[in-house]
Amino acid sequence: MSRGVAGVLLVIPAWNESRNLPEVLGELDRERPGEPRVVVDDGSEDDTGDVARRHGVTVLRLPLHLGYGAAVQTGLKFAMRRGHDVAVTFDGDGQHDPADVAPLVEAVREGADLAIGSRFLASAAYRGGFGRRAGRAVFSALARVLTGLPLTDPTSGLKALGPEAQRLFALARFPDRFPDADALVLARRARLRIVERPARMRPSRNRHSMHGGLRGVSYGFNMLASLLVAALGREADLEG
Amino acid sequence: MPIRQTIVFLTIALLLLAVIVELVRRRRLRVEYAWLWIAAGLTNLLLILRYELLVDLTDAVGAVIPTSTLFFLCILYLALLSLNYSVRLTELTRQVKELAQEVALLRAEAAAREAPVRAQQDAR
Repeated sequence: MSRGVAGVLLVIPAWNESRNLPEVLGELDRERPGEPRVVVDDGSEDDTGDVARRHGVTVLRLPLHLGYGAAVQTGLKFAMRRGHDVAVTFDGDGQHDPADVAPLVEAVREGADLAIGSRFLASAAYRGGFGRRAGRAVFSALARVLTGLPLTDPTSGLKALGPEAQRLFALARFPDRFPDADALVLARRARLRIVERPARMRPSRNRHSMHGGLRGVSYGFNMLASLLVAALGREADLEG
Repeated sequence: MPIRQTIVFLTIALLLLAVIVELVRRRRLRVEYAWLWIAAGLTNLLLILRYELLVDLTDAVGAVIPTSTLFFLCILYLALLSLNYSVRLTELTRQVKELAQEVALLRAEAAAREAPVRAQQDAR
């Protein structure tokens, strides 16, 4: 496999985002012109794929709705096959700011395997509801304990991945529901170098927020279980 | 066990076994799943023909009546069966995910190959 020749690839997972995508892609065009990007259409029921295609972006159309983690994973497999030395995951719902991509790419180019955009290192305060804040506090604490790193925002979807991180995240058995705190624990166990950079998060303009209401409760339980599996799993599973 | 009971249960057990074997023969049931069912069917037969085995087992595990031993064994069997299904579902989920991802990647590759050809056709 060729490595580190094709530069940066932006991976944009999108599920029923035809309304938000034009603005997200337009903003990326202005901030980061000419950079290859791929929209992973996660089995959308609207015309997300067509919207992206009309914008001249490569589309990976999943025939089924697999969920956020598996959609991101699809994009990372694409990045690996094309030999991109940095893959940046960037949500299709408009909550990430294209200006935050450059510092993450730079961090990977400076030797990190995985750079995470943290809303808590940024000056603009991000809050969210009580449930979210409580859940995030718990998982941040667990991630800090389990990784031994001072991570502030393990649930961030804005990440830059070098070749080693891409390989790990593309493993068949990698957590593919919402890879966040559990993914970081695995990354740490695989001895990847993880850093955080400040990132501004805007409220998601999406009607189907990922962790709202009862989903939040189910997410909490799943993540807890996934974290334990990540921490106690077999070393051999990190090899693929 | 009274002879009428034995006949009824024996008939049911044999029918069940016949259905299992027929399903395997017609490839409606894969061999690797069939052994569990065949084992259950044979245990059925054994306990019907040699009821004293169930009584012995009841004494051995310290239960009072054989029916409770039987129910316990059934529930245990069903629990293990569901666990087995969950494991297989997990594997199938992973396989479907990998396949769907591969479809998406191959489609993109095919589209990228077709694009220059289409552009040529359009130019004509």
